[in-house]
Amino acid sequence: MRVPVGVKASLFALAIMGSYTYFANSIPQIESKPPQELSLEGGNVTPAQLVKAGEEIYKTKGTCEICHRIGQKGTRAPDLAGIGSRAATRKPGMSAKAYIIESLLQPSAYIVEGYPPIMPAVDKPPIGLNRSELWALTAFLESLGGTVDVKLDDIPKTAGAAAGGGAAPELKIPGDPKSGEQVFAGKGTCIACHKAGKIGASPVGPDLSQIARIQTPDYIMKKILDPASVGTVAGFPPNVMPKDLGTRLTAREYTDLVAFLLTLK
Amino acid sequence: MKGLGVARRWAGLALTVLVAVVALTALPAIAQDAAKEPAYRSFPVIGSRLAVWGVAQLHLNFAAFILGCPIFAVIIEIIGWRTRDERYDWLAHEFVKLTFAAFSTTALLGAFLLFLFVGYYPKFWTYMTSIFFPTYGVYALLFFAETFIVYLWYYGWDWLSGPRKWIHVSLGVLSNLVGTAILFVANSWVTFMISPAGVDEAGALKGSVWAAINNFTWMPINIHRLIANIVFGGTIAAAYSAFRFLSARTDEERARYDWMGYVGNFVALSAFIVLPFAGYWLGREIYAFNQTMGITMMGGFMSWLWIVQAILIGVLFLGFNYYLWLGMERIPGSERYRKFVPPMLFILTIGFIVWATPRTLVVTLDEVRAMGGTHHPVIGFFGVMSAKNTVVNLMILTTFLSFVLYRRANRISVKPWARTGMAVQWAALFVAAAIVVFYGVYGYFVESIVRIGFSVYQVLAVLSCILIVMAIDIPMFKGARSTGTIRWGTIAPRSQYVLILLAVTFTWLMGLMGFARSGIRQHWHVFGVLRDTSAEAVTPALGYAANVITIVTIVFFALVTFIFWLGGLGEKGKAGAHGHAAPVIAGASGGED
Repeated sequence: MRVPVGVKASLFALAIMGSYTYFANSIPQIESKPPQELSLEGGNVTPAQLVKAGEEIYKTKGTCEICHRIGQKGTRAPDLAGIGSRAATRKPGMSAKAYIIESLLQPSAYIVEGYPPIMPAVDKPPIGLNRSELWALTAFLESLGGTVDVKLDDIPKTAGAAAGGGAAPELKIPGDPKSGEQVFAGKGTCIACHKAGKIGASPVGPDLSQIARIQTPDYIMKKILDPASVGTVAGFPPNVMPKDLGTRLTAREYTDLVAFLLTLK
Repeated sequence: MKGLGVARRWAGLALTVLVAVVALTALPAIAQDAAKEPAYRSFPVIGSRLAVWGVAQLHLNFAAFILGCPIFAVIIEIIGWRTRDERYDWLAHEFVKLTFAAFSTTALLGAFLLFLFVGYYPKFWTYMTSIFFPTYGVYALLFFAETFIVYLWYYGWDWLSGPRKWIHVSLGVLSNLVGTAILFVANSWVTFMISPAGVDEAGALKGSVWAAINNFTWMPINIHRLIANIVFGGTIAAAYSAFRFLSARTDEERARYDWMGYVGNFVALSAFIVLPFAGYWLGREIYAFNQTMGITMMGGFMSWLWIVQAILIGVLFLGFNYYLWLGMERIPGSERYRKFVPPMLFILTIGFIVWATPRTLVVTLDEVRAMGGTHHPVIGFFGVMSAKNTVVNLMILTTFLSFVLYRRANRISVKPWARTGMAVQWAALFVAAAIVVFYGVYGYFVESIVRIGFSVYQVLAVLSCILIVMAIDIPMFKGARSTGTIRWGTIAPRSQYVLILLAVTFTWLMGLMGFARSGIRQHWHVFGVLRDTSAEAVTPALGYAANVITIVTIVFFALVTFIFWLGGLGEKGKAGAHGHAAPVIAGASGGED
């Protein structure tokens, strides 16, 4: 039986594509997942927790491992083994902590000899670490041969302001912030656990005084309606935030509360 | 019946224009509505990302073909016009016929893609519109112009013949200029997503839209795509010829499609040789825009993609050369060059192996201990860019040598300075190879920042060699003595499968590079400016990408086959009627130029 040319050509083409597909499926399969936001502000975080969170950022969202190695000389960027103590020797009069923070936010301020000035500012997109993440990352780097003494206040307030990438249209919540403040302090009973600027002082939940700057409106809205869906801030016990808060508030009270929280910058 | 045919012809034009009008007039209104809509919607069953991915790649494949094919079609038409050789005019018409058949499908896929963006990624599209709205009108105007010019070019073939041929050729040139402008406009949107420029930290346009258009990767991608489109058009046209060759019932038909396949392959090969250089430039600009992106692309989670790419390009190099060597068998006098084939095959094979060697191997813990690390003590040296740049340049030189030998296979120069000329040509080849190897080896002993610059010297050495050899070759073989005529149609049938292999591989490669271009943005719609916050923001692994690419490639070839078959139905029995009777090629000589 004579096989038609069309069939032969098609089978040949399928065999070619099949072999490429097989090969591509047989090599290491690596996905690139979007990084998770980390929020530690107002949290009771131990140095060990901070270092652990910082190590995670080092390996994932910070993308530090693309160029830096720990205990191995890199061609693109310096070895970070011992940076916690070595950092204090880089610039006269500058502490290890200050040097590390400066290196993260203004990498070109000091270039280690023999390396190109290629490091990006990590609080700017596309890496875009927020203040919490910078705090944790600094703690991790300090832990590499040094003492972890970084505090959140050591990270400049302006750092990470453009971390999330712009371009999102400004969200205008139709609620009234003043009424929202009353909900926060009254019916919502948020004040029982959270601080929000001048009001509230309880250490049970995270301090929300700058929540609008460090979290997205989407996160804030979800946290009220379905707290478990967005996780628990590090250092705080899980499942404390009431699950029925969203159902106890009217739609108006909910939008007022969100509008109030979005003023906390 | 004639009226029906004319109506059918113009129905395609009407459809194309209608699609464009509907798409473009709907844009502002849809974009405004989109601002009030959710950021994402979910496409049924397969999800929005996969839908956009598949349609975008299909649209890109068709667009590449209809933009690439006319570039060499008009060059062939000019050759036919100036030499008064009817065969070239027929061939140019055949190529434009293929383009023409795919024109409406390209427009339909483009419109479908636009609707997917507007409907399923409204926030993204609103943002892109806020930056690029002024370019939409330009794109629309260019699209209309291109449609009318291409239709006039195709249908005016007989009407604008004879003394009016220059008008027809001008239409061909014009259609290419407008087509290139369309490509450049669309590229500005795509490249802005990779390397945004002209916007502030919040993503708002700072000044004129030109700054956003003229971003880091715009011109490198313009050039890279322009060249790649020619390669793609050439391989698809050659595969079409191969199919016709294998289905041919007469020697005459076989000879005709052998020749057509040769020309398609020649076009593809000529452009392919310079394509890696455009790739280097694009890579350098990506690094210049953002080091992290460049390093992620080459050394991060995408690093294995380049091993797959190396295999595909290795197959292309071997395929192009093998086709030339098989083609020489039908050229009397080519026997004297057979001795060069084994060393050339050796260089290509070694080059292929080195290029496809990964830096880090997939190994077990025991194997790591036995090797003393994740890098193999010997072949680990081949996994770095110094080795890869060296072998790819040597492969380009070898392929160029194959082409030069094929070109002179049945010709003997009668110029008195021929011996000197050939000596200079060989010297140029050896010097270029020596420079390439020298910088390849030297690269192991310097810092990476210095090593990166060496690739420029290697590229310059190869390009200079090509220019020197051709500058000598063309006058040296002018008026050369012939050793016999090319026996068109007698090439081994397996050569035609090589042409199909080249078309399938290049199409698959385009899909892979599309994934690379899009994947380096990772979880950003517009890198560093607009995050992808959808549930599908994960950049998939290579295996998944390969599955998608294969499905898209199968769909593409199925559509192309169907469209060409439809086009063939319309042409059946008419070849002689409109002045485009297929020429007799068998036994003809000199067709290789």
